[in-house]
Amino acid sequence: MSKNLELSIFEVVGSPLCVASSDGQKVYDRVMAALSKKRSVALSFGNITALTSAFLNAAIGQLYGVFSEDQIRALLTVEDMQQDDIALLKRVVETARQYFKDPQKFDQALRETMEDDNDDSQD
Amino acid sequence: MNFSLPLPEIRHDKAGFEALVCLHGQAKDCFFDDIDVDMSAISWFDADMCAAFGAILYRLSKNLNTVKLTNVEKNVVSILSKNGFMSSYGREKIPDRWGTTIPYQRFDVKDDRYFAGYIENKFMQRSEIPVMSPGLQKKFREGIFEIFSNAVLHSQTEMGIFSCGQFFPKRDRLDFSVADLGIGIRRNVKENAGLDFAPEDAIIWATEGCNTTKRGQIPGGLGLKLLCQFIDLNEGCIQIVSDAGYWKREKRKTFTARLSQPFPGTVVSVEINTADKQSYALTYELSETDIF
Repeated sequence: MSKNLELSIFEVVGSPLCVASSDGQKVYDRVMAALSKKRSVALSFGNITALTSAFLNAAIGQLYGVFSEDQIRALLTVEDMQQDDIALLKRVVETARQYFKDPQKFDQALRETMEDDNDDSQD
Repeated sequence: MNFSLPLPEIRHDKAGFEALVCLHGQAKDCFFDDIDVDMSAISWFDADMCAAFGAILYRLSKNLNTVKLTNVEKNVVSILSKNGFMSSYGREKIPDRWGTTIPYQRFDVKDDRYFAGYIENKFMQRSEIPVMSPGLQKKFREGIFEIFSNAVLHSQTEMGIFSCGQFFPKRDRLDFSVADLGIGIRRNVKENAGLDFAPEDAIIWATEGCNTTKRGQIPGGLGLKLLCQFIDLNEGCIQIVSDAGYWKREKRKTFTARLSQPFPGTVVSVEINTADKQSYALTYELSETDIF
């Protein structure tokens, strides 16, 4: 049976302040790796005291450029979130859906992903 | 050559920004010169405006000019020394006895975490700060972080991000500004969205709807909108200066104007109503299972 991943945002960021896009990227890297292997991920926001859209866009929003809404809904859950943080995350998710519906932006995102992959493979 | 450039009173308003962009316009082409900013006409300087002023002076000194502040009145020296601004211009920092300043500081774009620590340690955790409701305190912090993130993500600045704040206890107001020396909103919108707006119209575009200049894998376009919504609820005020565009939102109304000269980047300046007693709690229940 495949093991689920429980991820503490606090542990990944090392701080209750989740404000930097670069910290969101660290969360994304782990979630992305797990979802790619079809593992479910439970993201805990316990002890987080500040969140920005920049952080959430990087951590979660960009998943919508790689996975379908159905895949994300089936595999990703969040817990220990304050009510206003849930509201912010919902807006980030809605914005991400819209963003990746724009083919021009999506193509560019895809190109950049492929370029990154090529760069990685050349290392 | 030696240039002596007079500066009028600097308040947290359109006239204050106009004075600063005029100063920049007069000195922007100086190279290897001596620039004296004559402050003899100033009896008041709104401390948060140090972010925009400091950004301009930094840009001038980057052109290998020697920049000095001259004829500074005693009380202005006091204002600008308490928040550490004058430390860059040969004065010692003096203690902030009433604890009403958020120090002037310059950050690099990779300093987001350091910036968060600065807001926490230099301001939020101090006993002198106004008693704000927990909801307001959280919204205020997140609003400030959104401004900084916006500069990090969009400005493409190589010369840093400048911030400064001041609390006015008698007026229940807290002013905070973040300035960058990046490409500005107009150029950003033109290069990334292909829209060639007037400077003030570019700010309108960036603050409305789902508009974003963000490209690539990570979506964006929420930061300024969230901040504007918070300011509306808080009954505060937000001003944005970018290129020659001036944009202000107060009491849910937007005002725009054209400045006589461009600012060499973007300034976002907020005024928070610290007496705001709203809980900022949602009036409806949201579920963690209904997000994706």
